[in-house]
Amino acid sequence: MAEPPVPPRENPTRTIIFMVVLSFVCAFILSILASVLEEPKETAKDLDRSKQLMIAAKMLSHDGHFLIKNDQGEYVPAKSLPDGTLEEDSKIEIPSQAQLIAVYKKRIQSLLVDDKGNITNFEKAGLKEDDYVAEYKKSGYYKQPLKLVYAVLPNAAEKDSKPEAYVIPINGYGLWDAIYGYLALKPDGDTVLGISWYDQKETPGLGANITEPAWQSQFPSKVIFLPSGEKPNLKTAPLGINVVKGKVSDVLGDSPKAKTAVDGMTGATLTGNGVTDAYRDVLSAYRPFLIKLHEENSKK
Amino acid sequence: MASQKVPLSGYFTNQLWGGNQILVAVLGICSALGVTNRLSVSITMGISVAFVTAFSCFFVSLLRRITPDSVRMITQLAIISLFVIIIDQFLQAYLYSMSKVLSVYVGLIITNCIVMGRTEGMAKNVEPIPAFLDGLGAGMGYAWVLFVVGGIREFFGFGQLFNYQIIPLSWYADAQHPNAYDNFALMVSPPAAFFIIGGLIWVFNIINRRTA
Repeated sequence: MAEPPVPPRENPTRTIIFMVVLSFVCAFILSILASVLEEPKETAKDLDRSKQLMIAAKMLSHDGHFLIKNDQGEYVPAKSLPDGTLEEDSKIEIPSQAQLIAVYKKRIQSLLVDDKGNITNFEKAGLKEDDYVAEYKKSGYYKQPLKLVYAVLPNAAEKDSKPEAYVIPINGYGLWDAIYGYLALKPDGDTVLGISWYDQKETPGLGANITEPAWQSQFPSKVIFLPSGEKPNLKTAPLGINVVKGKVSDVLGDSPKAKTAVDGMTGATLTGNGVTDAYRDVLSAYRPFLIKLHEENSKK
Repeated sequence: MASQKVPLSGYFTNQLWGGNQILVAVLGICSALGVTNRLSVSITMGISVAFVTAFSCFFVSLLRRITPDSVRMITQLAIISLFVIIIDQFLQAYLYSMSKVLSVYVGLIITNCIVMGRTEGMAKNVEPIPAFLDGLGAGMGYAWVLFVVGGIREFFGFGQLFNYQIIPLSWYADAQHPNAYDNFALMVSPPAAFFIIGGLIWVFNIINRRTA
Protein backbone atom coordinates (compact mmCIF):
# COMPACT_ATOMS: atom_id res chain seq x y z
CA MET A 1 0.00 0.00 0.00
CA ALA A 2 1.22 3.41 -0.89
CA GLU A 3 1.75 6.06 1.75
CA PRO A 4 -1.45 8.15 1.91
CA PRO A 5 -0.85 11.62 0.56
CA VAL A 6 -0.89 14.48 3.04
CA PRO A 7 -4.26 16.18 2.67
CA PRO A 8 -3.94 19.70 1.34
CA ARG A 9 -4.95 22.52 3.64
CA GLU A 10 -8.59 23.33 3.20
CA ASN A 11 -9.64 26.60 1.79
CA PRO A 12 -12.34 28.00 4.16
CA THR A 13 -14.00 30.06 1.44
CA ARG A 14 -14.39 26.96 -0.69
CA THR A 15 -15.88 25.06 2.24
CA ILE A 16 -18.42 27.78 2.89
CA ILE A 17 -19.37 28.01 -0.78
CA PHE A 18 -19.75 24.22 -0.90
CA MET A 19 -22.10 24.19 2.06
CA VAL A 20 -24.16 27.11 0.82
CA VAL A 21 -24.59 25.55 -2.62
CA LEU A 22 -25.44 22.15 -1.12
CA SER A 23 -28.04 23.64 1.19
CA PHE A 24 -29.61 25.59 -1.63
CA VAL A 25 -29.82 22.59 -3.90
CA CYS A 26 -31.40 20.46 -1.15
CA ALA A 27 -33.84 23.20 -0.17
CA PHE A 28 -34.78 23.76 -3.80
CA ILE A 29 -35.52 20.08 -4.42
CA LEU A 30 -37.58 19.84 -1.25
CA SER A 31 -39.61 22.96 -1.90
CA ILE A 32 -40.51 21.76 -5.38
CA LEU A 33 -41.52 18.39 -3.96
CA ALA A 34 -43.58 20.00 -1.20
CA SER A 35 -45.56 22.13 -3.62
CA VAL A 36 -46.13 19.25 -6.02
CA LEU A 37 -47.34 16.93 -3.28
CA GLU A 38 -49.43 19.49 -1.42
CA GLU A 39 -52.70 18.53 -3.03
CA PRO A 40 -52.50 14.75 -2.66
CA LYS A 41 -51.39 15.29 0.93
CA GLU A 42 -54.42 17.44 1.71
CA THR A 43 -56.74 14.93 0.05
CA ALA A 44 -55.22 12.09 2.03
CA LYS A 45 -55.62 14.04 5.26
CA ASP A 46 -59.24 14.93 4.56
CA LEU A 47 -60.06 11.35 3.70
CA ASP A 48 -58.45 10.20 6.93
CA ARG A 49 -60.54 12.70 8.93
CA SER A 50 -63.71 11.41 7.30
CA LYS A 51 -62.63 7.85 8.05
CA GLN A 52 -61.92 8.65 11.69
CA LEU A 53 -65.34 10.30 11.99
CA MET A 54 -66.98 7.18 10.62
CA ILE A 55 -64.90 5.03 13.00
CA ALA A 56 -66.16 7.10 15.95
CA ALA A 57 -69.72 6.70 14.68
CA LYS A 58 -69.27 2.91 14.29
CA MET A 59 -69.83 3.03 10.54
CA LEU A 60 -66.31 1.87 9.84
CA SER A 61 -64.16 -0.64 11.70
CA HIS A 62 -60.58 0.03 12.72
CA ASP A 63 -59.52 -2.46 10.05
CA GLY A 64 -61.14 -0.25 7.42
CA HIS A 65 -64.32 -2.11 6.44
CA PHE A 66 -67.86 -0.80 6.80
CA LEU A 67 -69.98 -1.75 9.79
CA ILE A 68 -73.71 -2.05 10.15
CA LYS A 69 -75.87 -2.75 13.17
CA ASN A 70 -77.82 -5.98 12.76
CA ASP A 71 -81.14 -6.88 14.38
CA GLN A 72 -79.40 -8.14 17.51
CA GLY A 73 -77.74 -4.76 17.93
CA GLU A 74 -74.29 -6.07 17.06
CA TYR A 75 -71.99 -4.40 14.59
CA VAL A 76 -71.21 -6.68 11.65
CA PRO A 77 -69.16 -6.19 8.46
CA ALA A 78 -71.01 -4.57 5.57
CA LYS A 79 -70.45 -3.56 1.98
CA SER A 80 -71.58 -0.37 0.32
CA LEU A 81 -74.07 -0.21 -2.51
CA PRO A 82 -73.68 2.30 -5.35
CA ASP A 83 -76.19 4.71 -3.80
CA GLY A 84 -74.19 4.96 -0.58
CA THR A 85 -76.27 2.68 1.62
CA LEU A 86 -74.76 -0.27 3.43
CA GLU A 87 -75.74 -3.90 3.32
CA GLU A 88 -74.72 -6.73 5.62
CA ASP A 89 -72.02 -8.86 4.08
CA SER A 90 -70.25 -11.85 5.55
CA LYS A 91 -67.19 -11.19 3.40
CA ILE A 92 -64.82 -8.53 4.72
CA GLU A 93 -64.13 -6.03 1.99
CA ILE A 94 -61.99 -2.89 2.22
CA PRO A 95 -63.91 -0.08 0.49
CA SER A 96 -62.31 2.18 -2.09
CA GLN A 97 -61.85 5.90 -1.63
CA ALA A 98 -64.89 6.68 -3.79
CA GLN A 99 -67.09 4.30 -1.79
CA LEU A 100 -65.97 5.88 1.47
CA ILE A 101 -66.81 9.35 0.21
CA ALA A 102 -70.18 8.22 -1.16
CA VAL A 103 -71.22 6.72 2.17
CA TYR A 104 -69.90 9.73 4.07
CA LYS A 105 -71.89 12.14 1.89
CA LYS A 106 -75.03 10.08 2.25
CA ARG A 107 -74.94 9.57 5.99
CA ILE A 108 -73.08 12.47 7.58
CA GLN A 109 -74.70 15.86 7.79
CA SER A 110 -72.83 18.87 9.19
CA LEU A 111 -74.92 21.07 11.47
CA LEU A 112 -74.35 24.02 13.74
CA VAL A 113 -75.65 24.55 17.25
CA ASP A 114 -75.88 27.87 19.04
CA ASP A 115 -75.38 28.73 22.73
CA LYS A 116 -79.01 27.85 23.52
CA GLY A 117 -78.71 24.43 21.95
CA ASN A 118 -80.77 25.21 18.84
CA ILE A 119 -79.76 23.40 15.69
CA THR A 120 -79.22 25.22 12.44
CA ASN A 121 -77.17 24.51 9.33
CA PHE A 122 -74.53 26.31 7.33
CA GLU A 123 -76.97 27.54 4.71
CA LYS A 124 -79.31 29.18 7.21
CA ALA A 125 -76.44 30.64 9.19
CA GLY A 126 -74.96 32.13 6.01
CA LEU A 127 -71.61 30.44 6.51
CA LYS A 128 -69.48 28.56 4.03
CA GLU A 129 -68.80 25.10 5.40
CA ASP A 130 -65.33 24.63 3.89
CA ASP A 131 -64.13 28.02 5.10
CA TYR A 132 -65.59 27.51 8.56
CA VAL A 133 -64.10 24.03 8.94
CA ALA A 134 -60.65 25.16 7.80
CA GLU A 135 -60.65 28.43 9.73
CA TYR A 136 -61.50 27.13 13.21
CA LYS A 137 -59.87 23.70 13.04
CA LYS A 138 -56.90 24.84 15.15
CA SER A 139 -58.70 27.05 17.69
CA GLY A 140 -61.59 24.63 18.13
CA TYR A 141 -65.18 24.79 16.92
CA TYR A 142 -66.45 24.72 20.47
CA LYS A 143 -65.22 28.28 21.04
CA GLN A 144 -67.38 29.65 18.23
CA PRO A 145 -70.88 31.08 18.84
CA LEU A 146 -72.09 28.52 16.30
CA LYS A 147 -70.49 25.17 17.02
CA LEU A 148 -69.98 22.36 14.58
CA VAL A 149 -71.71 19.05 15.13
CA TYR A 150 -72.20 16.14 12.73
CA ALA A 151 -75.45 14.24 12.58
CA VAL A 152 -75.23 10.60 11.50
CA LEU A 153 -78.33 9.54 9.61
CA PRO A 154 -79.55 5.96 9.80
CA ASN A 155 -78.59 3.63 7.00
CA ALA A 156 -80.87 3.90 3.96
CA ALA A 157 -82.68 6.85 5.51
CA GLU A 158 -84.71 9.63 4.00
CA LYS A 159 -83.17 13.09 4.02
CA ASP A 160 -84.88 14.39 7.17
CA SER A 161 -85.19 11.31 9.34
CA LYS A 162 -83.94 11.43 12.91
CA PRO A 163 -80.18 11.02 13.29
CA GLU A 164 -78.96 7.83 14.93
CA ALA A 165 -75.93 9.57 16.40
CA TYR A 166 -74.24 12.93 16.83
CA VAL A 167 -70.50 13.42 16.42
CA ILE A 168 -68.75 16.27 18.20
CA PRO A 169 -65.27 17.38 17.07
CA ILE A 170 -62.85 17.40 20.00
CA ASN A 171 -59.84 19.69 20.38
CA GLY A 172 -57.30 19.60 23.13
CA TYR A 173 -53.68 19.45 24.11
CA GLY A 174 -51.77 16.28 24.76
CA LEU A 175 -48.26 16.17 26.11
CA TRP A 176 -46.44 17.44 23.01
CA ASP A 177 -48.95 19.11 20.77
CA ALA A 178 -52.60 19.67 19.99
CA ILE A 179 -54.76 16.56 19.65
CA TYR A 180 -57.84 16.37 17.43
CA GLY A 181 -60.55 13.78 17.48
CA TYR A 182 -64.23 12.91 17.43
CA LEU A 183 -66.72 11.81 20.04
CA ALA A 184 -69.87 10.09 18.81
CA LEU A 185 -72.93 10.17 21.08
CA LYS A 186 -76.20 8.29 20.88
CA PRO A 187 -79.31 10.46 20.28
CA ASP A 188 -79.86 10.73 24.05
CA GLY A 189 -76.91 13.13 24.14
CA ASP A 190 -75.36 11.20 26.99
CA THR A 191 -74.23 7.69 26.01
CA VAL A 192 -70.98 7.38 24.09
CA LEU A 193 -71.11 5.44 20.84
CA GLY A 194 -67.42 5.63 20.03
CA ILE A 195 -64.40 7.89 19.84
CA SER A 196 -61.39 8.42 17.62
CA TRP A 197 -58.41 10.72 17.28
CA TYR A 198 -57.30 11.80 13.85
CA ASP A 199 -54.33 14.02 14.56
CA GLN A 200 -51.89 13.71 17.44
CA LYS A 201 -48.17 13.79 18.01
CA GLU A 202 -47.97 11.90 21.29
CA THR A 203 -45.12 9.54 22.17
CA PRO A 204 -45.35 6.36 20.07
CA GLY A 205 -46.07 3.35 22.27
CA LEU A 206 -47.17 5.52 25.20
CA GLY A 207 -49.43 8.53 24.63
CA ALA A 208 -50.01 7.61 21.00
CA ASN A 209 -51.95 4.61 22.31
CA ILE A 210 -54.98 6.92 22.33
CA THR A 211 -55.28 5.97 18.66
CA GLU A 212 -55.20 2.25 19.46
CA PRO A 213 -58.48 0.38 18.90
CA ALA A 214 -57.98 -1.50 22.17
CA TRP A 215 -57.90 1.69 24.20
CA GLN A 216 -60.73 3.33 22.29
CA SER A 217 -62.93 0.29 22.80
CA GLN A 218 -63.41 1.28 26.46
CA PHE A 219 -65.50 4.30 25.53
CA PRO A 220 -68.69 2.85 24.04
CA SER A 221 -71.61 2.87 26.53
CA LYS A 222 -69.85 5.24 28.93
CA VAL A 223 -71.91 8.33 29.77
CA ILE A 224 -70.74 11.93 29.68
CA PHE A 225 -73.05 13.37 32.38
CA LEU A 226 -72.02 12.18 35.84
CA PRO A 227 -74.97 10.02 36.99
CA SER A 228 -76.41 11.07 40.34
CA GLY A 229 -79.66 9.62 41.63
CA GLU A 230 -83.00 9.46 39.87
CA LYS A 231 -83.17 12.92 38.36
CA PRO A 232 -79.73 14.43 37.93
CA ASN A 233 -79.55 18.15 37.39
CA LEU A 234 -77.98 18.25 33.96
CA LYS A 235 -77.31 21.99 34.17
CA THR A 236 -74.76 21.47 36.92
CA ALA A 237 -73.74 17.83 36.60
CA PRO A 238 -70.03 17.40 35.78
CA LEU A 239 -69.62 16.73 32.09
CA GLY A 240 -66.91 14.76 30.32
CA ILE A 241 -65.00 11.52 30.42
CA ASN A 242 -62.11 11.10 32.81
CA VAL A 243 -59.01 9.19 31.94
CA VAL A 244 -57.96 7.95 35.36
CA LYS A 245 -54.45 7.06 36.44
CA GLY A 246 -54.46 3.26 36.50
CA LYS A 247 -57.55 1.11 36.19
CA VAL A 248 -61.07 2.43 36.69
CA SER A 249 -62.06 -0.60 38.76
CA ASP A 250 -59.15 0.01 41.17
CA VAL A 251 -59.49 3.78 41.44
CA LEU A 252 -63.25 4.28 41.41
CA GLY A 253 -64.72 0.84 42.06
CA ASP A 254 -68.50 0.82 41.63
CA SER A 255 -69.08 4.53 42.29
CA PRO A 256 -71.16 6.43 39.70
CA LYS A 257 -67.95 8.11 38.58
CA ALA A 258 -66.82 4.81 37.07
CA LYS A 259 -69.53 5.28 34.44
CA THR A 260 -67.78 8.39 33.15
CA ALA A 261 -64.20 7.14 33.41
CA VAL A 262 -61.81 4.99 31.38
CA ASP A 263 -58.50 3.30 32.22
CA GLY A 264 -55.37 5.36 31.81
CA MET A 265 -52.33 4.31 29.84
CA THR A 266 -49.15 3.32 31.65
CA GLY A 267 -46.48 5.95 31.12
CA ALA A 268 -48.87 8.41 29.53
CA THR A 269 -50.52 10.19 32.45
CA LEU A 270 -50.09 13.62 30.89
CA THR A 271 -51.66 12.57 27.60
CA GLY A 272 -54.52 11.10 29.65
CA ASN A 273 -54.96 14.40 31.50
CA GLY A 274 -54.98 16.21 28.16
CA VAL A 275 -57.72 13.91 26.88
CA THR A 276 -59.76 14.44 30.08
CA ASP A 277 -59.42 18.22 29.77
CA ALA A 278 -60.31 18.14 26.09
CA TYR A 279 -63.57 16.27 26.70
CA ARG A 280 -64.51 18.49 29.64
CA ASP A 281 -63.80 21.79 27.87
CA VAL A 282 -65.39 20.88 24.57
CA LEU A 283 -68.46 19.15 25.97
CA SER A 284 -69.28 21.95 28.42
CA ALA A 285 -69.55 24.30 25.44
CA TYR A 286 -72.12 21.93 23.96
CA ARG A 287 -74.01 21.49 27.25
CA PRO A 288 -77.26 23.31 26.20
CA PHE A 289 -77.40 21.22 23.04
CA LEU A 290 -76.78 17.99 24.93
CA ILE A 291 -79.45 18.84 27.53
CA LYS A 292 -81.90 19.51 24.73
CA LEU A 293 -81.14 16.16 23.13
CA HIS A 294 -81.60 14.47 26.48
CA GLU A 295 -84.97 16.12 27.12
CA GLU A 296 -86.29 15.39 23.65
CA ASN A 297 -85.26 11.79 24.04
CA SER A 298 -86.85 11.26 27.45
CA LYS A 299 -90.16 12.84 26.38
CA LYS A 300 -90.88 9.96 24.04
CA MET B 1 -9.98 -3.40 1.03
CA ALA B 2 -8.69 -1.09 -1.64
CA SER B 3 -5.87 -3.42 -2.64
CA GLN B 4 -8.01 -6.46 -3.55
CA LYS B 5 -10.53 -6.28 -6.35
CA VAL B 6 -14.13 -6.88 -5.28
CA PRO B 7 -16.62 -7.80 -8.02
CA LEU B 8 -19.43 -5.27 -8.31
CA SER B 9 -22.13 -7.69 -7.16
CA GLY B 10 -20.02 -8.48 -4.10
CA TYR B 11 -20.83 -5.05 -2.70
CA PHE B 12 -24.51 -5.97 -2.78
CA THR B 13 -24.43 -9.59 -1.63
CA ASN B 14 -21.98 -9.06 1.19
CA GLN B 15 -24.41 -6.67 2.83
CA LEU B 16 -27.30 -9.10 2.53
CA TRP B 17 -25.74 -11.92 4.51
CA GLY B 18 -22.12 -11.87 5.66
CA GLY B 19 -22.08 -8.25 6.68
CA ASN B 20 -25.75 -7.89 7.56
CA GLN B 21 -26.27 -4.64 9.37
CA ILE B 22 -28.73 -5.93 11.96
CA LEU B 23 -27.39 -9.46 12.53
CA VAL B 24 -23.68 -8.72 12.39
CA ALA B 25 -23.21 -5.02 13.05
CA VAL B 26 -26.29 -4.82 15.35
CA LEU B 27 -27.23 -1.43 13.88
CA GLY B 28 -30.70 -0.05 13.20
CA ILE B 29 -32.15 -1.89 16.19
CA CYS B 30 -34.35 0.97 17.39
CA SER B 31 -36.64 0.92 14.37
CA ALA B 32 -36.36 -2.88 14.07
CA LEU B 33 -37.96 -3.10 17.51
CA GLY B 34 -40.43 -0.30 16.92
CA VAL B 35 -42.11 -1.01 13.61
CA THR B 36 -42.12 -4.77 13.19
CA ASN B 37 -45.47 -5.77 14.66
CA ARG B 38 -47.08 -5.97 11.22
CA LEU B 39 -45.64 -7.33 7.99
CA SER B 40 -46.95 -4.49 5.84
CA VAL B 41 -45.35 -1.93 8.13
CA SER B 42 -41.99 -3.73 8.22
CA ILE B 43 -41.92 -3.94 4.43
CA THR B 44 -42.66 -0.24 4.00
CA MET B 45 -39.97 0.60 6.51
CA GLY B 46 -37.46 -1.79 4.91
CA ILE B 47 -38.03 -0.36 1.44
CA SER B 48 -37.82 3.21 2.73
CA VAL B 49 -34.49 2.55 4.43
CA ALA B 50 -33.13 0.73 1.37
CA PHE B 51 -34.14 3.69 -0.82
CA VAL B 52 -32.56 6.23 1.51
CA THR B 53 -29.33 4.27 2.01
CA ALA B 54 -28.89 3.51 -1.68
CA PHE B 55 -29.39 7.06 -2.93
CA SER B 56 -27.55 8.74 -0.07
CA CYS B 57 -24.56 6.49 -0.70
CA PHE B 58 -24.70 7.26 -4.41
CA PHE B 59 -24.68 11.03 -3.94
CA VAL B 60 -22.16 11.02 -1.12
CA SER B 61 -19.86 9.05 -3.39
CA LEU B 62 -20.56 11.38 -6.30
CA LEU B 63 -19.58 14.40 -4.22
CA ARG B 64 -16.70 12.70 -2.43
CA ARG B 65 -13.94 14.47 -4.35
CA ILE B 66 -15.29 17.96 -3.91
CA THR B 67 -16.54 17.55 -0.33
CA PRO B 68 -14.23 19.40 2.08
CA ASP B 69 -13.09 16.95 4.72
CA SER B 70 -14.05 19.16 7.67
CA VAL B 71 -17.73 19.25 6.68
CA ARG B 72 -18.14 15.74 5.27
CA MET B 73 -20.37 14.48 8.09
CA ILE B 74 -22.79 17.38 7.82
CA THR B 75 -22.78 16.95 4.04
CA GLN B 76 -23.75 13.30 4.43
CA LEU B 77 -26.42 14.27 6.90
CA ALA B 78 -27.88 16.87 4.54
CA ILE B 79 -28.05 14.32 1.73
CA ILE B 80 -29.59 11.67 3.99
CA SER B 81 -32.19 14.12 5.33
CA LEU B 82 -33.11 15.09 1.79
CA PHE B 83 -34.02 11.52 0.90
CA VAL B 84 -35.75 10.86 4.20
CA ILE B 85 -37.97 13.91 3.69
CA ILE B 86 -38.75 12.76 0.15
CA ILE B 87 -39.88 9.38 1.48
CA ASP B 88 -41.86 10.98 4.28
CA GLN B 89 -43.69 13.31 1.89
CA PHE B 90 -44.55 10.48 -0.47
CA LEU B 91 -45.90 8.32 2.33
CA GLN B 92 -48.01 11.21 3.60
CA ALA B 93 -49.45 11.84 0.17
CA TYR B 94 -50.05 8.31 -1.09
CA LEU B 95 -49.94 5.95 1.90
CA TYR B 96 -51.39 8.14 4.61
CA SER B 97 -52.50 5.37 6.96
CA MET B 98 -49.06 3.78 6.69
CA SER B 99 -47.36 7.07 7.48
CA LYS B 100 -49.54 7.38 10.56
CA VAL B 101 -48.49 3.95 11.77
CA LEU B 102 -44.82 4.63 11.11
CA SER B 103 -45.16 8.13 12.66
CA VAL B 104 -41.79 9.32 13.93
CA TYR B 105 -39.90 6.28 12.68
CA VAL B 106 -39.78 7.63 9.12
CA GLY B 107 -38.14 10.84 10.31
CA LEU B 108 -35.84 8.79 12.49
CA ILE B 109 -34.34 7.05 9.44
CA ILE B 110 -32.03 10.08 9.46
CA THR B 111 -30.53 8.84 12.70
CA ASN B 112 -30.57 5.18 11.66
CA CYS B 113 -26.97 4.15 12.19
CA ILE B 114 -27.05 1.99 9.06
CA VAL B 115 -27.37 4.95 6.71
CA MET B 116 -24.62 7.06 8.22
CA GLY B 117 -22.48 3.97 8.78
CA ARG B 118 -22.60 3.12 5.09
CA THR B 119 -22.02 6.64 3.79
CA GLU B 120 -19.11 7.25 6.15
CA GLY B 121 -17.75 3.70 6.14
CA MET B 122 -18.03 2.89 2.45
CA ALA B 123 -19.56 5.45 0.11
CA LYS B 124 -17.03 8.19 0.65
CA ASN B 125 -14.20 5.84 -0.39
CA VAL B 126 -15.56 4.17 -3.53
CA GLU B 127 -17.07 4.95 -6.93
CA PRO B 128 -20.78 5.89 -7.12
CA ILE B 129 -22.01 2.57 -8.59
CA PRO B 130 -20.39 0.30 -5.98
CA ALA B 131 -21.51 2.77 -3.32
CA PHE B 132 -25.08 2.57 -4.59
CA LEU B 133 -25.02 -1.24 -4.60
CA ASP B 134 -23.51 -1.32 -1.13
CA GLY B 135 -26.18 1.02 0.18
CA LEU B 136 -28.96 -0.91 -1.51
CA GLY B 137 -27.57 -4.16 -0.11
CA ALA B 138 -27.38 -2.72 3.39
CA GLY B 139 -30.96 -1.52 3.14
CA MET B 140 -32.18 -4.83 1.73
CA GLY B 141 -30.29 -6.75 4.40
CA TYR B 142 -32.08 -4.62 6.96
CA ALA B 143 -35.38 -5.13 5.13
CA TRP B 144 -35.30 -8.95 5.07
CA VAL B 145 -34.54 -9.14 8.78
CA LEU B 146 -37.44 -6.77 9.46
CA PHE B 147 -39.60 -8.90 7.22
CA VAL B 148 -38.79 -12.09 9.15
CA VAL B 149 -39.27 -10.41 12.52
CA GLY B 150 -42.49 -8.76 11.33
CA GLY B 151 -43.80 -12.07 10.01
CA ILE B 152 -43.14 -13.90 13.27
CA ARG B 153 -44.64 -11.12 15.34
CA GLU B 154 -47.76 -10.69 13.23
CA PHE B 155 -48.38 -14.45 13.06
CA PHE B 156 -48.12 -15.06 16.78
CA GLY B 157 -49.34 -11.67 17.94
CA PHE B 158 -52.43 -11.32 15.76
CA GLY B 159 -52.76 -14.74 14.10
CA GLN B 160 -52.56 -12.90 10.77
CA LEU B 161 -50.18 -12.26 7.89
CA PHE B 162 -50.61 -9.06 5.84
CA ASN B 163 -53.74 -8.38 7.93
CA TYR B 164 -55.20 -11.63 6.62
CA GLN B 165 -56.38 -14.14 9.20
CA ILE B 166 -54.17 -17.25 9.05
CA ILE B 167 -54.99 -18.99 12.30
CA PRO B 168 -58.68 -20.03 11.95
CA LEU B 169 -60.95 -18.00 14.19
CA SER B 170 -62.59 -21.25 15.32
CA TRP B 171 -59.37 -22.22 17.12
CA TYR B 172 -59.58 -19.27 19.42
CA ALA B 173 -60.63 -19.43 23.04
CA ASP B 174 -64.13 -18.18 23.74
CA ALA B 175 -66.68 -18.46 26.51
CA GLN B 176 -67.37 -22.14 25.68
CA HIS B 177 -63.76 -23.20 25.21
CA PRO B 178 -61.69 -21.14 27.62
CA ASN B 179 -58.63 -23.37 27.14
CA ALA B 180 -58.32 -23.01 23.38
CA TYR B 181 -55.76 -20.94 21.46
CA ASP B 182 -55.02 -17.33 22.33
CA ASN B 183 -52.81 -14.73 20.68
CA PHE B 184 -49.38 -14.26 22.21
CA ALA B 185 -49.76 -10.76 23.63
CA LEU B 186 -46.05 -10.17 24.16
CA MET B 187 -45.49 -10.41 20.40
CA VAL B 188 -47.44 -7.22 19.80
CA SER B 189 -45.15 -5.12 21.99
CA PRO B 190 -41.59 -4.07 21.02
CA PRO B 191 -39.72 -6.25 23.56
CA ALA B 192 -40.77 -9.31 21.53
CA ALA B 193 -38.63 -8.09 18.63
CA PHE B 194 -35.72 -7.90 21.03
CA PHE B 195 -35.95 -11.63 21.77
CA ILE B 196 -36.61 -12.54 18.14
CA ILE B 197 -33.61 -10.60 16.87
CA GLY B 198 -31.48 -12.17 19.59
CA GLY B 199 -32.70 -15.59 18.43
CA LEU B 200 -32.03 -14.72 14.79
CA ILE B 201 -28.43 -13.70 15.56
CA TRP B 202 -27.94 -17.03 17.32
CA VAL B 203 -29.35 -19.04 14.38
CA PHE B 204 -27.36 -16.89 11.95
CA ASN B 205 -24.10 -17.63 13.80
CA ILE B 206 -24.82 -21.37 13.85
CA ILE B 207 -25.42 -21.41 10.08
CA ASN B 208 -22.30 -19.37 9.38
CA ARG B 209 -20.14 -21.62 11.57
CA ARG B 210 -21.41 -24.71 9.72
CA THR B 211 -20.66 -23.30 6.30
CA ALA B 212 -17.29 -21.82 7.25
